[in-house]
Amino acid sequence: MKLSYVIKRVLYSLFVFAVVITLNFFIPRIGVDDPAERYYPPQGNMSEIEYEIVKQLTREQYGFHVSTWQQYLNYLKGLARGDLGTSFRPGSPKVLDLIAERLPWTLVLSVSTMLIGVVVGVGFGVVAAVKRGRWQDTLLLNASTVMVALPAFFIALILSFYLGFEWEIFPAYTDSTMVSQFAWTWEGISRVARNAALPVMSMMVGSIISYAQGTRNAVIAVTNEDFVLTARAKGLKTSTIRYKHILRNSLLPIVTSLGMSISGLIGGQVVIEQVFNWNGMGTLFLEANNTNDYPLMMGIMLLLSGFTIFAILITDLVYVLLDPRVTVGDKR
Amino acid sequence: MKQQRNLAQRLGLGMKRRASSAGSLLGKVWAHKQGKVGLVMVGFLVLVAVFAPYIAPYDPYDVSQRTTKGLPPSSKHLLGTTINTGQDIFSMLVYGTRVSLVVGVTSGVCIAIVGSIIGVAAGYLGGAVDTLIMRLVDIMLVIPTLPLVIVLTNVLGRDFWIIILIFVALGWTGLARTIRSLVLVLKNTNYVKAAELAGASRWHIMTRHILPGTSHLVIMSTALSSAGIMVAEAGLSFLGLGDPTAISWGKMLAEAQSGGALLFGAWWWIFAPGLGIFLAVFGFMRLGLVLEEIANPRMKRTSSVYRLFRSLDSSYVEEVFNSMDDYQVMGSEVTGGGGQRYGTGLEA
Repeated sequence: MKLSYVIKRVLYSLFVFAVVITLNFFIPRIGVDDPAERYYPPQGNMSEIEYEIVKQLTREQYGFHVSTWQQYLNYLKGLARGDLGTSFRPGSPKVLDLIAERLPWTLVLSVSTMLIGVVVGVGFGVVAAVKRGRWQDTLLLNASTVMVALPAFFIALILSFYLGFEWEIFPAYTDSTMVSQFAWTWEGISRVARNAALPVMSMMVGSIISYAQGTRNAVIAVTNEDFVLTARAKGLKTSTIRYKHILRNSLLPIVTSLGMSISGLIGGQVVIEQVFNWNGMGTLFLEANNTNDYPLMMGIMLLLSGFTIFAILITDLVYVLLDPRVTVGDKR
Repeated sequence: MKQQRNLAQRLGLGMKRRASSAGSLLGKVWAHKQGKVGLVMVGFLVLVAVFAPYIAPYDPYDVSQRTTKGLPPSSKHLLGTTINTGQDIFSMLVYGTRVSLVVGVTSGVCIAIVGSIIGVAAGYLGGAVDTLIMRLVDIMLVIPTLPLVIVLTNVLGRDFWIIILIFVALGWTGLARTIRSLVLVLKNTNYVKAAELAGASRWHIMTRHILPGTSHLVIMSTALSSAGIMVAEAGLSFLGLGDPTAISWGKMLAEAQSGGALLFGAWWWIFAPGLGIFLAVFGFMRLGLVLEEIANPRMKRTSSVYRLFRSLDSSYVEEVFNSMDDYQVMGSEVTGGGGQRYGTGLEA
C-alpha cells in the first residue's frame, strides 16, 4: 500500500515537473512569432535588411532557426544533460554557471532568515498557544495583523534609512568587496554577516510571525486530539504531555515544511535583494528581466519550481512514513 | 420537472433563506469593534480616491517646481516635497490611493468570482473536471509567484489592466481550493440531497443551493485578497515593473530610494507612501477578519492572518498545513472542524 503510494507520488511529481518545463518553454514565446525578436527587439536606427540579418544570426546562434517543435525537443535534450540553456548576455555564458555563481549568496539570506524565523517563531508560537487568550497570545495576533500590512521592502527601507544611513550601524548597500574578496576567514565571514544584517532583519519579521502563527495553530490543533485526552486521563503530568505529546507532534509539519518554504522565500527575496543591491539570484533575475534575457529568467524559474516540487514530494513521503494515522487512499 | 421543483419549494427543502442582505451584513460589521475600524479606514480611502483632485493641493505630476525641492513637511506642503523633482508628496499620496484601491479591489472581486466558480465546479461536478482543476492548482503552486508575475509583465506588457489580469490569473487558486473543500461538505447536506431527489438540475443546485452557502467565504476572501494584491502591486511598482504612467505608492518608494531620500535624510518621503500602504492593507485585512468571524463565530481566530502570509512575498508554509489537512480532516477545515480545532476545552 505504502510502496504503491510512493510510486504514484513520484510519478505525479514528474508529471507536474514536465508541465512546468513545458510552460517554461512556451511563456517567452507568447505573443511573438520569432524568439529572436525577444532577444533583439526592433531598433529605430536599423534598416529592415540589417535587422533581418541580425535576427538571422541570433536564430542560428541560439538554435531558433529550426521549428518550434524541434526547439522544444532540443530544450528537453539540454535539460536531460543538465543544461539550462545559454544566456543572451555577451559572451553567451551558460545559464547554470550564472546561477551557480549567485545561488550561495541568495541562500545565505534565505537560510538565515528561515533559521531565525523558525527558532524565534516556534518559541513564540508555543508560548502563545499555551497562554491562549492571554496577553502573549493577543500580542501575537496584533503583531501579525500589523506586520502583515507592512511590506518587507518598506521595512527594508526604514531599516536602511535609520540603521544604514542615519546611525551607520550596518552597511545600507552591499559592499562589493564582500563577494570579490571573500575568503573563509574570520574577516571574510564577518563582512558577509555585517552586509547580510539589514536584508535578513527586514525579512525575518514576516518569517517569525508566519512560523509563530503556524506553530500556535498546530499546537492548539494537537491539544484537541484524542491521544492528548488519553494521556490526561492516564494522569500524566501536564509538562510531560506538553513536551512529549503535544510539542513533538505539532512541530512535525513545521519541520517538514522548511524545505518547501525555501523556494518561496527566494522568490519573495527578489525585492529585498534589489533594495540592498545584494549580489544574489533575485538581482540576477531582475537583471535578466531588464535585458530580456529569457533563457536566464526561465532557468531561474525552473530551478525554483523544480526545487519546490522535490521538497513537496519529500515532505509528503516523510509525512506518510512518520505518521501512522495517515492512511493513504481516497477517503472522500 | 417544474412541478417537482415546486414541490421542493413548498416543502421548504433547499430553500435556505439568504441569511442576510448586504445591508444587514454591513450593520453587523459596524457593530463589531474591529469591524468599525476596518470600515472607517476603507471608507476613508475610498473617499480620498474618489475626490483626489479636490483633496490634493498641488498637481502630483508637476515636476517643474525647482524652488520646492526637498522641503520637509510644513503647512504649505503637508508631507514635504521630493528631493529631485520638488513634487508635493501629499498630493502624490492622495493620487496613489486610486491605483492601490482600483488594482486591489478589482483584482479581489475578480478573484472571488473566478475562484468561487472554479471551486464550486470542482467540488460539485467532481470527476474529470475536479481532477483537471486540482492538477492545475498543484502546478500553479510550485511556480514561484513573484518571478512568474515579473516574467508575465515582461511578455504581456505593463498596462494597468494587464497587471490586474495577471494578478487574477495567478490569485484564484487558494480560494478555489478552500471553496472546493467547503462544497464537498455542502454536497452531502440534506437540503442538497433533497433538491437532487426532487429532480433539480445540477445548474440549479450549484447556483441556488451551493453557491449561496459559500457566500460568507467569498465575501471574506474578497477583502483579504484585495489586501494581498495591494501589497503585491506595491512590490511590483517598487521594482519599477508597474504601470509606468500611474503614480502608485510602490513607485513613490522606489523613487524615494533612487532619488536620494535615504542619503539626504528625507524621512517624510519614505514614511508617507509606507503609511498609505499600511492603512489600505490593514483596513481591508481587518474587514476580512471580521467578516470571517461573523460568518463563523466558532472560529474566533483562524488562520486567515496566516493565510495572508501566502501573498506574493512569502513562503508556502501555509500550503503545507493545508495539504496536511487534506489527509486528515478532509474538508472539515472550513466548517465543522472549526469548533473542534479552535474550540475551547482540552488545553494542557
